[in-house]
Amino acid sequence: MTKKKFIILLILFTNIFGNCYSENEPYSKLENDIAKNLRCLICQGQSIYDSNSEFALSMRVYIKDQINSGYSESQIYKMLVNKYGQWIVYDPGYSKKTFLLWVIPILFFLLGGAIIYLKIYKKKNI
Amino acid sequence: MLSNVGFLSLFFGLISSFVVFLYSVLNIKKNSLNLEKKIYKFLTLQFFFVVISFFILSYSFFISDFSNATVYNNSHSTKPLFYKITGLWGNHEGSLLLWLLVLTSFILFFFFNSKNEIKNFRLYTVIFHQIIVIGFFIFVLKTSNPFDTLFPIPPEGLGLNPILQDPALAIHPPILYVGYVGTSIIFASALAAMVTGYVNSIWAKNLKKWVLISWTFLTGGILLGSIWAYYELGWGGFWFWDPVENISLMPWLSLTALLHCISTLEKRDLLKSWSIILCIVTFMLSITGTFLVRSGILNSVHTFANDPSRGIYILSFLFILIFMSFVIFFIFESKNLENKKQIFFLSKETSVLINNWFMIYFLSVVLIGTVYPIFLDVITSEKISVGPPFYNKLLIPFLVPFFLFMSVGPSMNWIKTNLKFKVSYIYYFLLTSIATGITVYFLSQKNLLTIILIFSLFFLIIKTLPNFLKNNTNNSQNLSHLGFAMLMLSILFNSVTSTEIIKNIKVGDSFISKNEKITFKKVRTEEEKNYSSIIGIFEIKNNNNEIIKLNPAIRIYNQPVVATSEAAIKTTLFKDRFITINLIKDEQLFNVRYQNKPFMIWIWISTLIIIFGGTFAIFSKKKNYP
Repeated sequence: MTKKKFIILLILFTNIFGNCYSENEPYSKLENDIAKNLRCLICQGQSIYDSNSEFALSMRVYIKDQINSGYSESQIYKMLVNKYGQWIVYDPGYSKKTFLLWVIPILFFLLGGAIIYLKIYKKKNI
Repeated sequence: MLSNVGFLSLFFGLISSFVVFLYSVLNIKKNSLNLEKKIYKFLTLQFFFVVISFFILSYSFFISDFSNATVYNNSHSTKPLFYKITGLWGNHEGSLLLWLLVLTSFILFFFFNSKNEIKNFRLYTVIFHQIIVIGFFIFVLKTSNPFDTLFPIPPEGLGLNPILQDPALAIHPPILYVGYVGTSIIFASALAAMVTGYVNSIWAKNLKKWVLISWTFLTGGILLGSIWAYYELGWGGFWFWDPVENISLMPWLSLTALLHCISTLEKRDLLKSWSIILCIVTFMLSITGTFLVRSGILNSVHTFANDPSRGIYILSFLFILIFMSFVIFFIFESKNLENKKQIFFLSKETSVLINNWFMIYFLSVVLIGTVYPIFLDVITSEKISVGPPFYNKLLIPFLVPFFLFMSVGPSMNWIKTNLKFKVSYIYYFLLTSIATGITVYFLSQKNLLTIILIFSLFFLIIKTLPNFLKNNTNNSQNLSHLGFAMLMLSILFNSVTSTEIIKNIKVGDSFISKNEKITFKKVRTEEEKNYSSIIGIFEIKNNNNEIIKLNPAIRIYNQPVVATSEAAIKTTLFKDRFITINLIKDEQLFNVRYQNKPFMIWIWISTLIIIFGGTFAIFSKKKNYP
């Protein structure tokens, strides 16, 4: 809810003041947050936020444009994933492909708990 | 010429390894005094040959002998002497030579230090360890010879990656390698103990030193890497869940589990199979790390060359070792590792099990997060990224119970604890609540999970501190636990209170961040031997009119031509001020990033406290703690 409010405010703000943001203050907090979650495709293990490559700079312009045209954070991710593939976002998300990624560690945890439980309680009954 | 000697020396090293191996295998049934002397002699010889190669390569780097391909590819005559020498392990071939050096010195040290242990256990340890040594010798000689020669001799070298030309990174590999390679002794010793039926408290007591050595050095190596990432990579972070970082974290997690487990084996003769499994897993994780980094599957500053034959070699080697460990484990498991002792719910044994439970869970998260994208890519050729959001979601919620268990675990007794209600518990609880309340008020935090984390960490610290005052207490453990709690707390505070501001400004402009006024005074250029730099002169004025000067820079290295951004950091006890500049194309503007990072130095200090704990434990006289 707050995110929506924030975006609405942002849209209003940018509409009223037009291109009020100057070169002096390049990026908003939302833009930075999005940039932190995107991989710089031509760098080695850096996010768009951390990189100063031309790819990263053009991505930042893209993010700014999309926010200004009223798209939300998740919509922007979706558009980028369609264009560049899942590789570009650092959050693997929940999907059929990533099902095992999330489930295997949890299974490890449950299994470990079960083993410890058996180790402590089963032997008492013998 | 010199290179040929180096290569030959390595070859002789391999031959001595074979001699040690065969001699040990043939003499397991015999018992003579000569045996020990002979093995000594050949282990020393093997070490000696590696030392010679190592010195020759160092010397080639020292005199910039570009007829050597390794020197040519990674050095340059204008480089400072310090980085010429440390450039030796800033590349694949040289770093493997360093690996061999540590490997051969450790087995010699082990043999020297284990005189009181049974003969066959020592022999088997040497045998299993020699398999690893031989494997690495062949790897170096066949796929990564550091003594390849070039003809005609090039007049100048290609230079070392500039971001590796840094003091922290110069000593990071040797420290990390001691940690990694130490696990090879743990592995060999575990297999040998199984074969000889020596998995008991004496074995555990002796092995614990090796676990501590590996663990302490690995912690130190990770610390150096993080510090380097913090000030050199220029984005103000110190951990990014990058695959290469994960690879060093995985053996650390399993070593931590092993450290707790081996104490249980030492004191109570329990958890034998589990200790052995952890010993094997730890070493496998080290080798897997080498495989993933060296094969070029992962992209990072550590990937020196993408040569598939190297990856295939390490992979086959890894499979042989895993297969061998499996066979030995299943043949000897039932014979040697039986224990039917009961574990009571309220006991130190249970706390160790719970520690291991969480450690293995954390390990599985990091392992799956690191290898899942690789497998998915191979199977479905789809690329996904597994970054910080994944790890945060799966790790952070589990930290709360982990901290709480960690606070009560050390006060449990072995075998059985009688839980009596003590008034002090109320004090602990009240004190923690008050401390949390004040902190949350000052940080104005509203996130419930953050508040719970702060509470559990304060509880851990408040519960750990009185342990120092008890008689008969394990102070190295207390120290490491305290350090760990402080580390987690500093990271938490740092991540919730850090602020930053990014501006594109001209020289002479200034901007306000919180209560501080940052002014971009001027730009200066400087010429160094191996780079030229553009230095920005900044002044930061705070409310009390104190002025702090920071000079971030952009360096342009001459060999190879690369531009790097050098952060300027002003460290104080409570916060770091971190500033970087970057050029913007075709404009007079500079991109300035200014960050306020509270408690940064405490992250390093607490990790040092953890390391101190480990160091004290290594040097402590064999005291018996309850």
